[in-house]
Amino acid sequence: MDTLQFLTWVRGTGLNIALVIFVLGVLWRLAEIYGLGRKKDLSAPRNMPGASGWATILRRSLPPPGMLPTSPVSYIAGYVFHVGLAVVAFLFAPHIALLTSIVAAAWPGLPSQVVDFVTVVTMAAMIAVLIDRIARPVKRFLSTFGDWFTWTLTFLPLLTGWLAVHHLLLPYTLMLAVHILSVELLLVFLPFTKLFHAFTAFGSRWFNGAMNGHKGVPV
Amino acid sequence: MRITNDQEFKAALAALDNCSRRQATAYLIRQALDLTPDTRVRAGLDLAVRCDANEADLAVAASGVNSARVATYTQCGHDANWTCQASHFVARAAQECVKPEISASGAWEAAMQARMARICQAIAAGEGTSNREAEAQYRALEAYLNSKEGQP
Amino acid sequence: MSASLDKGVRVLKEMIDAPIASYFSSCVHCGICAEACLFYTETGDPKYTPIHKLEPMRRIYEQEYTLLGRLAKRVGLSKAVTDAELAEWQELVYNSCTLCARCSAVCPVGNDIVYMVRKMREGMSAAGHSPEGIKGAVTRTINIGSPMGVKLPAVKAQMKHAEADYGIPIPLDQEGVEYLVTLSSMEIINFPEYLGAIAKIMRHVGKTWTLSSEAFEATNAGMQIGNSDLARVIVSRVVAGAEKLKVKTVISPECGHAYTALRWEGANLIGRPFTFKVQHIVEVLEEFRAAGLLKLEGMATDRLTFHDPCQLARRGGVIQPQRNLMKMVAKDFVEMPDAGFMNWCCGGGGGASSIEEGEELRLEAFKRKKRQLEAVKPDRLVTACANCRIVLEEGLEHYKMNLPVVGLTETIAEHIPDA
Repeated sequence: MDTLQFLTWVRGTGLNIALVIFVLGVLWRLAEIYGLGRKKDLSAPRNMPGASGWATILRRSLPPPGMLPTSPVSYIAGYVFHVGLAVVAFLFAPHIALLTSIVAAAWPGLPSQVVDFVTVVTMAAMIAVLIDRIARPVKRFLSTFGDWFTWTLTFLPLLTGWLAVHHLLLPYTLMLAVHILSVELLLVFLPFTKLFHAFTAFGSRWFNGAMNGHKGVPV
Repeated sequence: MRITNDQEFKAALAALDNCSRRQATAYLIRQALDLTPDTRVRAGLDLAVRCDANEADLAVAASGVNSARVATYTQCGHDANWTCQASHFVARAAQECVKPEISASGAWEAAMQARMARICQAIAAGEGTSNREAEAQYRALEAYLNSKEGQP
Repeated sequence: MSASLDKGVRVLKEMIDAPIASYFSSCVHCGICAEACLFYTETGDPKYTPIHKLEPMRRIYEQEYTLLGRLAKRVGLSKAVTDAELAEWQELVYNSCTLCARCSAVCPVGNDIVYMVRKMREGMSAAGHSPEGIKGAVTRTINIGSPMGVKLPAVKAQMKHAEADYGIPIPLDQEGVEYLVTLSSMEIINFPEYLGAIAKIMRHVGKTWTLSSEAFEATNAGMQIGNSDLARVIVSRVVAGAEKLKVKTVISPECGHAYTALRWEGANLIGRPFTFKVQHIVEVLEEFRAAGLLKLEGMATDRLTFHDPCQLARRGGVIQPQRNLMKMVAKDFVEMPDAGFMNWCCGGGGGASSIEEGEELRLEAFKRKKRQLEAVKPDRLVTACANCRIVLEEGLEHYKMNLPVVGLTETIAEHIPDA
C-alpha cells in the first residue's frame, strides 16, 4: 500500500471503524457501569441549597480549599492540557470541516496561528504532567501501564498533527495519515481505558454530590 | 460540726479560704487513694495539702497528674476496665486541686470525681449503685473542720 | 458465621454498584486524594493513598463487571485477589483510614472514596481480615449491648451520680416524651458529666426526655468493622427502643460514628424509613438556640477553638450549628486553619482508636492536628465527640502540649444559670 492509499484508508474505512468502535464502546461502557444501579437511600434527607449532584459537577471543577498548593502541576498543567485539547480538537478549521461532515453542525474556528500556539502549550503541559507522574512518589506508586499508554495515546495526535501542519519529520501525506491514525487509536481505546473518565467523571461527580447532598453537605 | 447532706457539704467547702479549701479537697480525695496505684497522683495530693506550695511546683505536679489522667482513659471500643477507670477518676479529682486557686465549684467537682471513682470500683465488683463515698467525704470534711477549729 | 476468602470476594462483588463502577472507571491516578489524607501527608508513605486502599475491590470490579475484564479472566490473563493480599490490605483499610472523607471531598473526578472503603470493609470482615480490636467491640456489642461491655447497672450508677451532682432526676423508660437520649459507652465510662449536662439543659428549655434501659447504646461497631448484618442488629435495638417509647426524636450523643450509623445508615440497614427523627445533640442544641430557649449567662474569656468531628461535620452535614453555639459562650472563639467542612481528622475515628497496633501511626498522623492548633494557640479545645476528645488528649499528651479538651454540651450547660 502506498502513502496515498494509506491516507485514503485512514480517512475512510479506518475512520469508520474507529468511530463505530468508539460510539458502541461508549454506549456499552455507559450501560455496563450505570446499569448496575444503586439502592435508594431510605434515611430522611436534609436538603440544603447548593448540595446536589449537579452543583458538584460544577463545583468539583475547582480545587477545593487548600488543595491547589499540594498538587499545582496536576491542577494547572492538567487544566491547560484539557482546555488545550478541546481548543485544538474543536476550534481548528480542518477539524471543524471534518466534524461538520459527521454531525451536520458548524461553528467558527480560531486563527491557525492561535491553534498552533495552543498546541505547543498543550504539549508542554502534557510533558509537565508526565514528568510530574514520574517525579512524585504517589503518582509514580499508582501508575500502571495504562497511565503511560493513555498519555501516549493522547500526546501523539497533538504531536503528529503539529508535525503535519509544519511539514516536519515525514512527507506531508504520510504525516497526515499517521496523525489521523493516531486519532483513531485514541478513539478506539478511549472507552476501555482511564480516558473514559471523559464521560464518567460527570457521573461520578453527580453521584458524590447527590449522596452527600442527601445529607445536606455541599461537596 | 456535722455534715449530713450535699448542701451542707458544698456550703462548708465554699466557706473556706483558698488554701484551706485546697487542703480540705486534697484530704477528701485521699479517701479514694486506695483506688489508684499512681504515684504521680499521690505526689500531687501531698503537695496540694501544703499552704506553702508554690505555683511552679504545683504546675509540675499538675503535669504529672494530667499524664496519669490521660493514660487511664478507656479508649473507644476497648473492653471497659472499671478498676483502671476508677484510678482515672481519682486522677481527675486530683487535677482539680493541684492548682494555686481552687474555687468552691472546683472543690465540689473534685469531690464528685472521687465519688465517681468509688462508683467505678463498685461496678467492677458487681455491687450496687449506692454511693458510700459521699458519707466518707462528709466524715473527712468534718474531721478537717474540727481539727482547724482548735487553731488560731 | 465463618469467614473465608471466597466469602470475602463474593461480598466485595455484591458491594459494587453504579457509583462504585463509575468511580473506578473515572480514577486517573492523579494522587490528589493522598494530599488530602492525613495518614499520607504526615508519613509521606504512598501506600496510604486513599484510592489504593480499594485495589483488591477494583480488580474484582474489572474481572466481574467489565467485558474486557471478564474476557481477560477467562483466558487467564487476570490476577485473582488472594487471601494474602487481603491480609496485607487490613492495615490500609482499617488502621490508616478513619472514614473521615477528606479524600471524597477533593477527588477531581468526583470519586466518593470513603463510600468505597465502607463497602470494602464488608468484604474484608467477611474474609476474616479485620482488626481484633474492632472484632472485640462488635462481639461485645452483640452479646452485651455495648462495645465496651457497659451494662445497665453501670448506666444506672452514672444516672445516680449525675442526679447527685446536678440535683436533677434522670428519667428512664418514660413513654411519650419528646426525646430519647442515647449515649455512647465512651460517655458512660469516661464523661459522665455529659448526662448531667443533658439533664440541666432539658430542664432549662422545658423539654421532656428519657433514657431507655433497652436502648442506651448509640454506637455501632458493626458499621465500623463492615458487617451490615451485625450493624442491623445493633441499630435495631435503638429503633425498637424509640418505637416502644413512642418518642418524636432520638438524640445521638457526642460521638461521630454513632450519628452516621443512626442518622444515615440506620434506615437503610433496617430496610425502611424511621418513624422518628434522629438528631445529633449539637443539632438539638442549635434548635434550642435558634428558638431562643437557651438563656445563658456569662461567657468564657479564654481563647477557644473547635475541632469538627468528621462524621458530624463533613460526613454528617452539621457544620454551622457548633459555631453558632460556640459564639454564645466564647468571647474569644477562633477557627483553626481548614476549620469546618475541610477540617482534619483527629486520627482515631472509624474504629481506628480501638486498634492497638495502629497507635504509632495515629500519633504520627496527629502532627497535622498539632500544626492546626499551633497556628491558633488556643487556651482550650472544644469538640463534640467523646472519641475525638480522648484521641486529641492522647495526642496532645504525646507531643507535650498543655491544652485542655472539653465537650460542647457540657460547656453550654456550664453557662445555664442554676435554678
